[in-house]
Amino acid sequence: MQTQEMGRIWHWRTTVFVGILLAFILLLGVSFGPISLDFTKIIRTLFGFSGGLKDEERTLLLELRLPRVLLAALVGAALATSGAVYQTVFRNPLADPYLLGAAAGAGLGATLAFTGSNKTFYAALPLFAFLGAVLAVAATFLISGKAFSDPATLLLSGIAIGSFATAVQTYLQQRNSQVLRPVYSWILGQLTVADWNVVKWASIYIVLALFILIRMSRLLDGLLLSDEEAFSLGISPNKIRIIAIAAATLATATAVSASGLIGFVGIVVPHLVRGLTKRATNRALFTVALTGAGFLVLADLGARTLLSPAELPIGVITAFVGAPFLLFVLRAKRVMK
Amino acid sequence: MIKINNLSVRYGDFYALNHITLEIPRGTWTCLVGPNGAGKTTFLKTLLGNKAYDGSITIDGLEVYKNLRNVAFVPQRPEIPAGMDVAEYVMLGRARLDGWGRESKKSRQFVHTILEETQLLGLQHQLVTQLSGGEMQRVLIARALVQEPEIMILDEPTSALDLHHQISTLNQIDRLKDSGTTIISTMHDITLGAMYAERIIVMHKGQVLLDGPSNEVIHSPELKKAFDNGISIFTLDSGRPVIVASRELPAP
Amino acid sequence: MFKARLRAPAIAIVAIVFASVLASPAHAAATKYPLTISSGGFKTTISKEPKRIISLSPSATEIFFSIGAAKQVLLVDSLSNYPKSAPISDISAFEPNVEAIVGKKPDLVLLSVDAMKSTEIRNALIKLKVPVLMEKAPTQLSDVYAEINVLGKVTNKQIKANALSKKMSTDIKGILASAKKSTGVRIFHELDDTYYSVTSDTFIGRVYKDFGVVNVADAAAGADSYGYPQLSAEYLLKSDPQAIFLADAQYGVTTESVAKRAGWSQISAVKNNKVFALTADVPSRWGPRLVDFYRDIAKALAKIS
Repeated sequence: MQTQEMGRIWHWRTTVFVGILLAFILLLGVSFGPISLDFTKIIRTLFGFSGGLKDEERTLLLELRLPRVLLAALVGAALATSGAVYQTVFRNPLADPYLLGAAAGAGLGATLAFTGSNKTFYAALPLFAFLGAVLAVAATFLISGKAFSDPATLLLSGIAIGSFATAVQTYLQQRNSQVLRPVYSWILGQLTVADWNVVKWASIYIVLALFILIRMSRLLDGLLLSDEEAFSLGISPNKIRIIAIAAATLATATAVSASGLIGFVGIVVPHLVRGLTKRATNRALFTVALTGAGFLVLADLGARTLLSPAELPIGVITAFVGAPFLLFVLRAKRVMK
Repeated sequence: MIKINNLSVRYGDFYALNHITLEIPRGTWTCLVGPNGAGKTTFLKTLLGNKAYDGSITIDGLEVYKNLRNVAFVPQRPEIPAGMDVAEYVMLGRARLDGWGRESKKSRQFVHTILEETQLLGLQHQLVTQLSGGEMQRVLIARALVQEPEIMILDEPTSALDLHHQISTLNQIDRLKDSGTTIISTMHDITLGAMYAERIIVMHKGQVLLDGPSNEVIHSPELKKAFDNGISIFTLDSGRPVIVASRELPAP
Repeated sequence: MFKARLRAPAIAIVAIVFASVLASPAHAAATKYPLTISSGGFKTTISKEPKRIISLSPSATEIFFSIGAAKQVLLVDSLSNYPKSAPISDISAFEPNVEAIVGKKPDLVLLSVDAMKSTEIRNALIKLKVPVLMEKAPTQLSDVYAEINVLGKVTNKQIKANALSKKMSTDIKGILASAKKSTGVRIFHELDDTYYSVTSDTFIGRVYKDFGVVNVADAAAGADSYGYPQLSAEYLLKSDPQAIFLADAQYGVTTESVAKRAGWSQISAVKNNKVFALTADVPSRWGPRLVDFYRDIAKALAKIS
């Protein structure tokens, strides 16, 4: 008798659908803007056929729009996936990738970069933001002491570090009034001038971090259970938590250093995927990444077309979409209960 | 072979486990009994390896905190994750064996078989948050079974089950002994425990009060003392002992 | 005999005509394109006379319109509200949208070094074949004249630019000369209603310094490394300025509202009714209206005996 086996655990149809949707959204992203370009010519240029765009139009598409859209996709994927992983690690559906002081640390780093009247400091802004985020999370672990892998302790330490970093940042801003405006602008998040250089190094870190997290997805599922249960399944909960947070922080820090603080993506997108698939397990991580990418590309499209020629900060768009969406999700949950 | 040597678990001055030494041979079923607070659950969790302990616990020579052996754990109070269905939940038991990657064909077949045997196939697409207490317990045991564990540790595995399911579940666990699995469980229902376990350890205030073959332990006066003489032991015609709580508690 | 008598005057006439031709401003001051010019720390190359300029600096806008280059200006940024005839747009001077700018097909963009990601925006525009002239905020008066001259050269309006610089210089010198030497008069320049002020290290501060007044914010110079310290009401009471200049009058602060502030009635400037509202935007622009700023200060100081 043929032994029957379990059906597919995950509906790959959903992932494929999201992937195709993302490709479509990417195309939308490069097709719209204050300057209108012929659509067929865009396709021809992108796929290397003849008869595509020429000269300035070609430069506009390939040097301005394409890197920006790709960066939006990378940042969106990074923030969404980090958010999902943080929600697993802290077993809290409202966790976001800026917990543990990453946002405050990055903000402090950026403020320092803006403060130095040194031009090299300013040029190293992404590095400062990145280091700020990473060091803040490291500090969170340090001050958690022996309980460094207990989610509740980490959360509290993160709040402490975040508050401290914000205080220092505020002090610096007070002493250096010229940085107020650029820092505020940076905090709202912007993808205004992305070039291929930024896309290159951002993609290296983000793809690496996401690869690690997706490869770990079964281990991460174990973290959804109690520590003893996870242990009995062969998982070392402390070790896995640290690796997960480290990889997620890498992705988040890279995203933040490239595009400032864009909020809500890390909370909204995992919930969006959860609502569509009715699953909150880490098998969804790849789909979450794809959805996050599409989400942010659409948000960026809105940021640069809605009030053209002015540009809305992208953080405003994600908040406008994210806040009501979250309310909707919470109400839906209550109704279901 | 599990060797426990001078095991202690302390919280400051309080000894949850107080210098315990014993050995548990392979392929046996040991049942821990004792009043609440005796340290049974602490003992199980320490055996699992996730708790800090003084002394030594080894499985075939390896200390348990290293987590190098396949030890399944059925907790009394599991952490029930949101957004996971029964199929995925039970499949987690195979994750280590599948190298934390995609489910192998063998795993998919084995899980299907186990779910069939535990009559849980119909629930496979239910979210675990929507299960009743009894269904949850059976699912927990299914997850432990799919692990093909060397050692299975169960903390009150049948407390929420109806009589029929109690027997069928325990029977299924019993069959594991044939493949050499060592079983250690705690049970409030000593009668049931005695039916399946060949060895009973009575614990009291973090120490081993009594340790021996089920039949002997059941009929010994120490058992009654451990429960402050609040139990009565009867023997059925078939020879099976039945332990029940007494209505009258004698003066302390 | 005829030739000999005419030779000297002929030579003289030729010499005079030649010299006057050489000295003619119209000839020497015409800008030659392509032009490579340094501005704001960058070198810019402009291939021909710009006729579609996008100005992303309110001060530069004012200058363009004062040197006769108005017809060459296509669009100005959202804050360039003077003169009223300037073609104002939604483009932000601080966070300009590269694509929107390029879409308007300008042949020159004037961008402030202080704009967000100014270097990257400059690079992006250049990649799209739009020349960018960078502007750095002036620290002293000579910087202003230098910028006027640069903008004049760029737009081929050098004569008018030179004339503007000269007139501004003369006017300012005149104002300073006829203004009573107000050495020692204590003043407070209020930036906003939380009492941010300017020290003498800033451009605005130097304008006051030219009048010889004492800027009460100078004592607090250590509080901000850019020269914009925030003062406290208590400190202002102690330092007792004799004149208060309101740069925030356009945001609703009036002499009456200042007098109503707790404890402020004890300040000399308030007691003697020497609180002066400055014309909107004038202190923060460094174009032709700089002269108005000097004039407003002189008028105010004249009221203080």
